Amino acid sequence: MYNFAHYDQTIVCMLFYFCRFFLFFVLISLSLTGYSQNFGVSGIVRSAADNEALIGATVSVPQLRIGTTTDAKGFYSLSLPAGTHELQTTYIGFLPATQTITVTTSAQTINISLQATENQLREVVIEGNSLQRKLTDNRMSVEQLSSVEAKLLPALFGEVDLIKTLQLKPGVQSGGEGSSGLYVRGGGPDQNLVLLDDAVIYNPSHLFGFFSVFNPDAVRNVELYKGGFPAQFGGRLSSVLDVRMNQGNNEKLRTSGGIGLISSRLSLDGPIVKDKLTFLVSGRRTYVDTFTRVLNKMNEDNKEYSPIPDYYFYDFNARLNYKPTPNDEITLSGYFGRDFFTFDDADFNFSFDWGNTMGVLNWRHDYNSRLVSNTSVSATGYQYNIQNQIDVFSFNLLSDVKDITLKTDYIWTLNDKHSIKFGAQATDHRFTVGRLNFKSDDANQNFSAGNNYKASEFGAYISDDFTVNPLLSLNYGLRVSGFNSQGKTYAALEPRAAARYSLSDKTSVKASYASMMQYIHLVANSGASLPTDIWFPSTPRVKPQRSQQVAAGISHLFGDGKYLVTNETYYKWMHRQIDFRDGANLFVNDSLENEFLFGKGESYGNEIYFEKIKGRTTGWIGYTLSWTYRQFDEINEGRRFPTRYDRRHDMSLVLLHKLNKRLSLTGAFVYGTGNAFSLPVARFAFQDVQGEEPSYVPIYEDRNSFRLDAFHRLDLGVVWKLKPKRGEADLTFNAYNAYNRRNPYFVYFEQLKDEEENQTIGFRAKQVSLFPVIPSVTYNFRF
Amino acid sequence: MKRFLYLALPLFSIVGCNMEKEIEIVLPPHEPQLVVECYLEQGRPFQATILETSSYFDAPTPPIVPDAEVYITFRDKRVKLTYRPGFNNRTNSYYTHSSYAKMYGKPGEVYGIEVTDSKGRKVTGFTTILPKVPISKVEWKFNNKDKAYLLTTFQDDPNIRNFYRYMTHRDSLQRGSQREFTTNDELTNGKETSYGSAYDYEEGDTLILSLFNIEEQYYEFLRSAEDAKNSNGNPFAQPAKVRSSVQGGLGIFTNLAVDRDTVIIAKP
Repeated sequence: MYNFAHYDQTIVCMLFYFCRFFLFFVLISLSLTGYSQNFGVSGIVRSAADNEALIGATVSVPQLRIGTTTDAKGFYSLSLPAGTHELQTTYIGFLPATQTITVTTSAQTINISLQATENQLREVVIEGNSLQRKLTDNRMSVEQLSSVEAKLLPALFGEVDLIKTLQLKPGVQSGGEGSSGLYVRGGGPDQNLVLLDDAVIYNPSHLFGFFSVFNPDAVRNVELYKGGFPAQFGGRLSSVLDVRMNQGNNEKLRTSGGIGLISSRLSLDGPIVKDKLTFLVSGRRTYVDTFTRVLNKMNEDNKEYSPIPDYYFYDFNARLNYKPTPNDEITLSGYFGRDFFTFDDADFNFSFDWGNTMGVLNWRHDYNSRLVSNTSVSATGYQYNIQNQIDVFSFNLLSDVKDITLKTDYIWTLNDKHSIKFGAQATDHRFTVGRLNFKSDDANQNFSAGNNYKASEFGAYISDDFTVNPLLSLNYGLRVSGFNSQGKTYAALEPRAAARYSLSDKTSVKASYASMMQYIHLVANSGASLPTDIWFPSTPRVKPQRSQQVAAGISHLFGDGKYLVTNETYYKWMHRQIDFRDGANLFVNDSLENEFLFGKGESYGNEIYFEKIKGRTTGWIGYTLSWTYRQFDEINEGRRFPTRYDRRHDMSLVLLHKLNKRLSLTGAFVYGTGNAFSLPVARFAFQDVQGEEPSYVPIYEDRNSFRLDAFHRLDLGVVWKLKPKRGEADLTFNAYNAYNRRNPYFVYFEQLKDEEENQTIGFRAKQVSLFPVIPSVTYNFRF
Repeated sequence: MKRFLYLALPLFSIVGCNMEKEIEIVLPPHEPQLVVECYLEQGRPFQATILETSSYFDAPTPPIVPDAEVYITFRDKRVKLTYRPGFNNRTNSYYTHSSYAKMYGKPGEVYGIEVTDSKGRKVTGFTTILPKVPISKVEWKFNNKDKAYLLTTFQDDPNIRNFYRYMTHRDSLQRGSQREFTTNDELTNGKETSYGSAYDYEEGDTLILSLFNIEEQYYEFLRSAEDAKNSNGNPFAQPAKVRSSVQGGLGIFTNLAVDRDTVIIAKP
């Protein structure tokens, strides 16, 4: 912790170390450059069908054991010795491409086009050589997923959800039945950095966590970092979810969409000016409210009937891609989503809406084949707004967070051994916390509360991908981060390092270390993702959170490259973790800081992941053995306790089988230790002062000392490709919770009463489940 | 937070199945603790209810503690409350221990309670007598449906850290309150404050309005007891521990400084 008086000194110190570190490896790099005689080869890998850039494609020269993966813009860069080489490019769902290139004495650009494996619905084919890429990738603890893959798997109400698909990966847990929250290696859902085209999405869920905000038609690719975080990412402790939107088809106007049980989607994309300007617009809306309105209308005259409130959500994504020159690309992306919950009655009017808004303008410039920059300005925000009118009284509660971020990133390929990334970002945060307004029409009542906060956050980083030799590669970097709010400045150094060593061409070992800081905090103690959860900045009293994580793993490729098994072990320390005192008032509280408690946490475990991505049957098995604890002096009498999502065993099995060209079967089975939870162990009777019926006050002892029954569920799906006159279409049938398991959601104690005397006669425990078997059907189309 | 479950109602209505079932839970052994409930009122005899906690699935009748010895201490005096279970018709509540001595405390005076029993358990607590805060104004307004809302106004002292409990009873204090607020000083400090209601009342309604000037420890007890009750059955709540005003056991020992007003709603 630094006080303001020491701020200048601290920053100077950090800048000194930062510059020294930078100079150190630039000097090393330059000295190495002097001995190498390599030349830059770079370009963009695209889909031949629509000219969209492919993210995460592997470009390699197998003879030299040199390779790389394309970045978020489909860009790759290699440094190769002069001569003739076989350049191999692979990507999931596309045919591998091999081309012979001749590297001369100057840098050159080679753009690559890949053909999809088949013309019709390539979604049902997952092939490629990405297992080899995973084996040789410097990065570890990364899960990649394309919306193509996610669309294959069975989903709740048929709503394809990328985040829920990621929950099937080892080390990633859901908060509970149906939840789209991500609990990564013992971290909470507030500790995930969720990025959509580089802009933060503060609340990535709809309907208090049952659905994520990412419309699968608008999203192309997702990467989830569970550890070994690259230095360009900062601001959250536990994971980075890097979501990229589709770029828009460059060849022709394309329409795609789907009609499902609870929502429909429609997307349009295509060229505005061929090879220059493309667009994408995509929308999704639920329509349960239309049915409930009809139901309410039908029961208008029924006095016994309680009207069902209106609920719906929608998402809107848009993106423009403009390429004014071969070396420049400008993109403008936007997202707008809202949930609405309303109840309208003659005397009682209640409305509650919440959602995210995001816009980002990005300019990518290729200075030459060795130096590329990405510069962006983004604005993002999350807001909830509750309005209630009862007679002449109106009540309004609003909270929001708004950011404006400037960011620049550079990739500088020095030579065949070093690729340097550096950049900086600055964010202006504005928080409105619990802005309440209560008034009466006659102005007799007028009460308001709430606070506004301003804060600024900055970060700068530098890292080096260093290929020491064909067997050993390193990635090391340093991030400097800082935060200023209410006159208090916090600053920190966040070192990052990762290493890969190839024991053979089939086996590699990896290790990583990452230190992370989190300067803004989610005020939530529900354990679920509620729309009323608000973000709060670090202040003089609320210090930033910090984590450190070490991980080590081994990967082995076998069965002629068809199978990859990976084992990773991790340990994570979490400092200055945040919780809230018992009975904390988190809704309207001008002294919210008084409710914070600070403690520490730890999480450790082992993840085994076995995957097969070639052939007619593909899929994976993941198993995680883990422990997660928190310790606060003021909670549980200072004893450490397991978190709700401490899950000793977590297993998932995902299988996709292609019966024939038109029919595919999919299945996903999950098993997990039951969530930890608290129950009262005793009670006492309380009469109160005046004529009250005595009540029973529960007495809670150890926190989270009970376990729900184990959670397990099987989801099944069938994808049946149709033969429409135009374009492509399919019908997807899903059975969520196919064997109708009543998985526990929560447990409570019920008071049993004698019906005649209305006297309490006993107590019993009840378990509540959420979803039985839920069949659904979705019609998807594209033309 | 329970109300957020209703957000999911449209979805649940689709599946419409009974998703609750009774289960068996094995609770750890529970060592009973003494529970004290004692309110001192000006000019009223000392009365206290001394009970024990029960394991959650035990019989609902609260265990009484006949051998408990209860003393109230003040001004170097020590008044013994005798085990003499009874029912107070005025407050509509039971007590287990009482004395004929009455409380005449002045604001600022400290009273203590001491409870011991044959098992060696001992509970102590203190309360500082508070002055009443007067209700300064009561008014109501009718809408065009002949329904009235009520405003009860008082002035908070900016120099004192006050906590308030406000209750509205219909017709009599014998039944539960019809409306209740518990507020802390951060909301009311130095302000003329009004507690309102909805259009709940009609001409002729008799309302008893009680404004309690309460101690912080009583405010914390009420809040935490309510939170603990709400935690059971709410999947989104964290468990809340009851913050008692006594040491060595559970419960509340405080004094009631209440200003009361009775109004009959009438049209102007």
